[in-house]
Amino acid sequence: MVRLDRIGKRYGRGPWVLRDVSLAVEPGEVVVLRGGNGSGKSTLLRIAAGVTAPSSGRVSRGPSVGYVPERFPTGVKLSARDYLRHLAAVRGVPVRWELVEALGFVGDPSAPMATLSKGNTQKVALAQALHATDLLVLDEPWSGLDAAAAGVLGGLVASSEAAVVLTDHHGHDVPGAREVALGAVRSGGVVIELDRVGEAFTLISSLEGVFAAHEVGGGARVEVRAGFSDGVLAEALRLGCSVRSVRS
Amino acid sequence: MTSLVRYLLVDVLRTQRWLPPLLLYVAVLGMLYASDAGPPLPAYAGTCVLVYPVSVWLTVVIATAEDPVRRTITVVTAGGWARAQAAVTALSVLAALGLALVAALVPVVTQSRPYPPATVAEGFVALAVCALVGVGVGVLCGRPVITQAGWSVLAATALVVLVFLFGRTPPVGNVLWSLSHDDGVTSALTISGVLAVLFVVGATWLGTAVGPRRG
Repeated sequence: MVRLDRIGKRYGRGPWVLRDVSLAVEPGEVVVLRGGNGSGKSTLLRIAAGVTAPSSGRVSRGPSVGYVPERFPTGVKLSARDYLRHLAAVRGVPVRWELVEALGFVGDPSAPMATLSKGNTQKVALAQALHATDLLVLDEPWSGLDAAAAGVLGGLVASSEAAVVLTDHHGHDVPGAREVALGAVRSGGVVIELDRVGEAFTLISSLEGVFAAHEVGGGARVEVRAGFSDGVLAEALRLGCSVRSVRS
Repeated sequence: MTSLVRYLLVDVLRTQRWLPPLLLYVAVLGMLYASDAGPPLPAYAGTCVLVYPVSVWLTVVIATAEDPVRRTITVVTAGGWARAQAAVTALSVLAALGLALVAALVPVVTQSRPYPPATVAEGFVALAVCALVGVGVGVLCGRPVITQAGWSVLAATALVVLVFLFGRTPPVGNVLWSLSHDDGVTSALTISGVLAVLFVVGATWLGTAVGPRRG
């Protein structure tokens, strides 16, 4: 379980990375944080895990927390087996090597972790966190995993009894997960890339629903609020532009 | 807590970064006691001057053996910055007391002068006090208080030199003076012992307070 109550975070006198964010995750529930680069996803995860203290607001969480950072460091001299064994001992629980095996670990478990591939290192990082029983905080947990391991991880996350908060850039499917958007929320914003814009640029940038438009070469990149994309597209086509891509 | 300290110990042993300070320690200790080092207590004053900076260095090595990202995992697994910092301090204190014990016993073996148990005990306490001050300085100069290696080295050097510049000032200066002059050793050790423990606790608390702000 974790409960974030009106969290704010800034470093020193810098800008607010997060402001007034509230989030509660119950045991067995999975929350996927969405948001662009720099929207504060990782910071929110670090606050949820207890690595970082929020500048304002309150956090409460269960005692047994597992955390997987965005990038597990390279160059660790300990072996995978020793690392897991020691971290399980710190938690005071028996080590569950079968978690690593379930994720399809390939490599020498008693060689320094520095010699493992990125994917296998990630499996060890995930396994140490999965020992936790109250809260799992996973920052891009799928990064570096192959398809088989990714599928297993999805299952482990979905079936976990702990509350789970994670970020994911690749749209992996976790059954029953709740999505939470963060940051300067362009919730449902659509990015339209156009070619052959020419003089229609000023017209297009002043269309209803367009909140940003940039000229790119002879074309344009237009950011449109949800619900207005069809109108903008129709107008752009009518003006003789060519549509290169539409993304949401 | 024991398993956390054990984990940090195994990890730091694997890095081999403890080797340079330990080699320095053994080399200087060997030079000091290779021939007649003079009366026991002034000789212990000499090894106090050695134990202090070596325990600073060793503490910084212990505090920074894990890189910052892996430290965040350890903090979460251990249940907070306070436990992680306490474990770093505990391991550093154990290492520093080990240094002090070795420095107290080596002259008993190598020197031809008599080293009665009371003198060795006094020497050990004096060495332990200086080593503990070193742990405090090391905690202040390592992560998470000082995060960059360059500043860490500068701050550690400055704090080590500073202590020697201030003559008879506790917690180190008064111990060195009283050992050298065999004058008021017990009272100097009492004052400095209390100060050293408070200093180590304070430095550890500071790390606990700073860690989550920087994290």
